Amino acid sequence: MVFRRRSAVYMLLVGALVLFLGPFAWLLDTALKAPDELRALPVHWWPHHPNLSNFRDALTHIDYFGYARNSLTIATVYAVLVTLASAWAGYGFARLHAPGKKLVFNVLLSTMMLPQILTLIPTYLLFAKLHLTNTYVPWVLWGLCGAPYLIFLFRQFFSNMPKELEEAAIIDGCGQIRIFWRIFLPQSWPVIATSLILSFSWTWGDYIAPSLLLDDAHTTLAVKLAYGYVNAHGSPLGNLVAAGAVMYVVPVLALFLILQRGFVAGVATSGLK
Amino acid sequence: MSTGQITAPGAPSPSGEAAARPGPRTGAHSARRRRSLSSRRALSFYVFAGPWVLGFLALTAFPLGYALWLSLTNADGLSNNSRFVGLDNYREVFTDPETMSSLARTGIFTAITVPLTLAAGLLLAILVNQPIRARGVFRTLLYLPAVVPPVGAALTFKLIFDRDSGAANGALDALNLDGISWLMDPYARWVLVTLTLWGAGNAMIVSLAGLQDVPKELYEAARIDGANTWQSFSRITLPLLSPVLFFQVITGIIAAVQSFLPLLISLDPTPRGVTAVPEGNYLFMIHVFAQYFANGRYGYASAMLWVLFLIIVAITFLVFKLSKGAVFYAVDPEPDKQSRPRTLGGK
Repeated sequence: MVFRRRSAVYMLLVGALVLFLGPFAWLLDTALKAPDELRALPVHWWPHHPNLSNFRDALTHIDYFGYARNSLTIATVYAVLVTLASAWAGYGFARLHAPGKKLVFNVLLSTMMLPQILTLIPTYLLFAKLHLTNTYVPWVLWGLCGAPYLIFLFRQFFSNMPKELEEAAIIDGCGQIRIFWRIFLPQSWPVIATSLILSFSWTWGDYIAPSLLLDDAHTTLAVKLAYGYVNAHGSPLGNLVAAGAVMYVVPVLALFLILQRGFVAGVATSGLK
Repeated sequence: MSTGQITAPGAPSPSGEAAARPGPRTGAHSARRRRSLSSRRALSFYVFAGPWVLGFLALTAFPLGYALWLSLTNADGLSNNSRFVGLDNYREVFTDPETMSSLARTGIFTAITVPLTLAAGLLLAILVNQPIRARGVFRTLLYLPAVVPPVGAALTFKLIFDRDSGAANGALDALNLDGISWLMDPYARWVLVTLTLWGAGNAMIVSLAGLQDVPKELYEAARIDGANTWQSFSRITLPLLSPVLFFQVITGIIAAVQSFLPLLISLDPTPRGVTAVPEGNYLFMIHVFAQYFANGRYGYASAMLWVLFLIIVAITFLVFKLSKGAVFYAVDPEPDKQSRPRTLGGK
């Protein structure tokens, strides 16, 4: 009975795995096909002459490294700044008290419900007036303010740390900034890891903000990938799209796989319940 | 209150109230000293919350006000002489058949994907919570698609459902069936639903975290009382998991009504072409994009987004009201979770 139930679990899980990993397999498969194989009938399940030239072509057909550098710059700058700023604000919401705090906190929570693009349209007009479009300044500004979701994440984590930590420090004459910087921040690595992964992948994957704020030269890989791979007649080059997408997706997956232990611990502490 | 707070005296309450009490009691210090300490703390709260507050005012509140103003004008981004048109844009939102049908389609899309994702996530969570080999590997691999950026996911699904070279039609062909234009009506909406479900790993992780908080003793007690698997699932697992499922319903709805994935799956090779979205996938957000990008109607797009925001608020409120009694809080909604860090590879 137990044995039969366990094998049913395995069968369901393997079935789910095939469904969930299948798309990756087809992406990789397509990336290894020669251009004329894409038109072969019946469909070639395996590339007959697999080679890596698509990856080379995907890098040169568009200025892949240039766009990747744009994406990397934006995502790194934003992730580092927003993580620090969110930890900073999260500490305030978790450990300090002042009149008006409840109001500020409720405003913070309700901003999570705002459709991002609602503020993005006027923000675009505002930045255009200030000549900040086609620069990465908006991402620096967004980063410096912190993100409500991440602030909430840090607040949950800091709330759960024992009070003795700061009491001893206060007796020693530490100010709040030192307590935050020297005691709380170094202990919060799971949340820092989570925050870095989340914010990096948001920006790396974002399509809307860069397509609004950046022109073709400054835009990110996410935007360029979506329409950059066409031949002279305007038809899409499926195998190059696939190769480009593999190189676009793999860094995010790798980052996740390396940091996933901390990531899931962080998500679990974020007060999802 | 959770037991964690009872066994850990001195731990601050989640809202940080405890931290607000005057610091260490150092003998016979006067009340004045204490007051100055607490006002220093109040000041430091604003030092810490200040950057966010400033950022909120400059980058959220101000643009929101600007959006409200735009929604009352006929701004189009081309001419400089936009003028105040009152509630005309809002009237148009509710009378434009295209806006209304895209809104209805968004409602249907949400009603389909939210329960399906919830159910798939819960099923997967139960499976990877069983005492089996390599379950950490299963957890990680099933979660992986949820990490793929939207553009990458959309491109992948475009390749699979391509009419000529895609795997879907390849499989049909192997069965001697005719190929299907998957990315066109009437099939495009199902490709979109499938693509959305591909990210069910997110729901799995959240439900898994909830499952691991269910005390094992409850199942043992139920078994001794003669409960079968279905009974312990419906009487123990579901009620204890209801806050987690409730959370997912709320966030799921908020995300689904804002979905712009159809834009990415049907994106033309021509830059920013949004005209090629099949009707079945012409969701509200796509309509907003079309009005904004293709027609430059900033005013109308802003009005549509304000309406969407109000709808989100109303739905969230309604779900909160309706779920009263259905959501079962066994412990404080904000229990001490630090004591149990979980990992994908967990025991």
